[in-house]
Amino acid sequence: MNYLPLQIIVSLFVLLVIFRLSRKFKDSILKTSEFIGWLVIWAVVLVAFWLPNTASYLALLVGIGRGVDLAVYSAILIIFYLIFRLYLKHDKQQQQITKIIRHLALKEEDEKKPQ
Amino acid sequence: MKTFIVIPCYNEAEHLAKVIAAVKPYGQVVLVDDGSTDQSFNIAKNCGVIVLRHLVNRGMGAALETGDSYAFKHGADVVVHFDADGQHLAEEIPRVIEPISQGKVDVVLGSRFLDPGNNVPFLKKLLILKPAILFQNLLLGVKLTDAHNGFRALSYAALSKIKITQDEFAHATEIIELIKAHNLRYQEVPVTVKYHEFGQGFSTGLKILKDLFFGKINR
Repeated sequence: MNYLPLQIIVSLFVLLVIFRLSRKFKDSILKTSEFIGWLVIWAVVLVAFWLPNTASYLALLVGIGRGVDLAVYSAILIIFYLIFRLYLKHDKQQQQITKIIRHLALKEEDEKKPQ
Repeated sequence: MKTFIVIPCYNEAEHLAKVIAAVKPYGQVVLVDDGSTDQSFNIAKNCGVIVLRHLVNRGMGAALETGDSYAFKHGADVVVHFDADGQHLAEEIPRVIEPISQGKVDVVLGSRFLDPGNNVPFLKKLLILKPAILFQNLLLGVKLTDAHNGFRALSYAALSKIKITQDEFAHATEIIELIKAHNLRYQEVPVTVKYHEFGQGFSTGLKILKDLFFGKINR
């Protein structure tokens, strides 16, 4: 089978992502651990597209029939995990907003007192 | 007894003036305007009570905690939680704070099911309240006759322990949880609940469960 066009498109996309990641890393928006984590994830994508047999081999190793299935399953797991993390972060931010709003409400009342 | 009556309020312009006038004789009213978009804030200010304003809506639990913090800071002996929508009766406040002023308990919880005169809408009782009460009692190991009743009173000692972190309706379950966790003495007292509308529906119930679940993980 000829994968070439898709492989090139995906590779270009991954290069673009890595370029943006490295810019963010340079600007200290990303921590080293986060930067490496993302690099690994995108490297895995590259490997999966250029050496599809690796994915098939890994798939057989964990008892899944095809490499593509393994990729889809892991992608779903990762996405769920990220959603979960985002949810917790969102919740934490909500709590912080409440803290600020409460602080402002109490401060406003206290400042009125001396008059 | 320095009594503070904390009223969380979100867009309750219709009932607010009447509710404030009714509770005023029973203690220092602390109205927490939870980012109302109607005239609630101005109405409350004109009533001559302490008004704390949330710049944006944060939920009933958040508003109660703001009122509690204020009362705690100003040396309240007892704090009464009272709904702004006029579903509670102000003249029952003395009955609710009595067990605290007598030093018998730290927390008094109002119960609509201890008062036989209450006409709780049948569907609400069957589909929402009874399952909620059962869930609460099983989860927290308590034997209460009501759940999510906004009429309650806390002593200064209870106030120092109970810090509400659930911003929305799950605060009512959280309060019971904190009572248990800190071994506070509590008691239920019959209160009247007048129904204007359906109040918290089934979807709110589901949201409360979700908030409780994530609240546990996100400590």
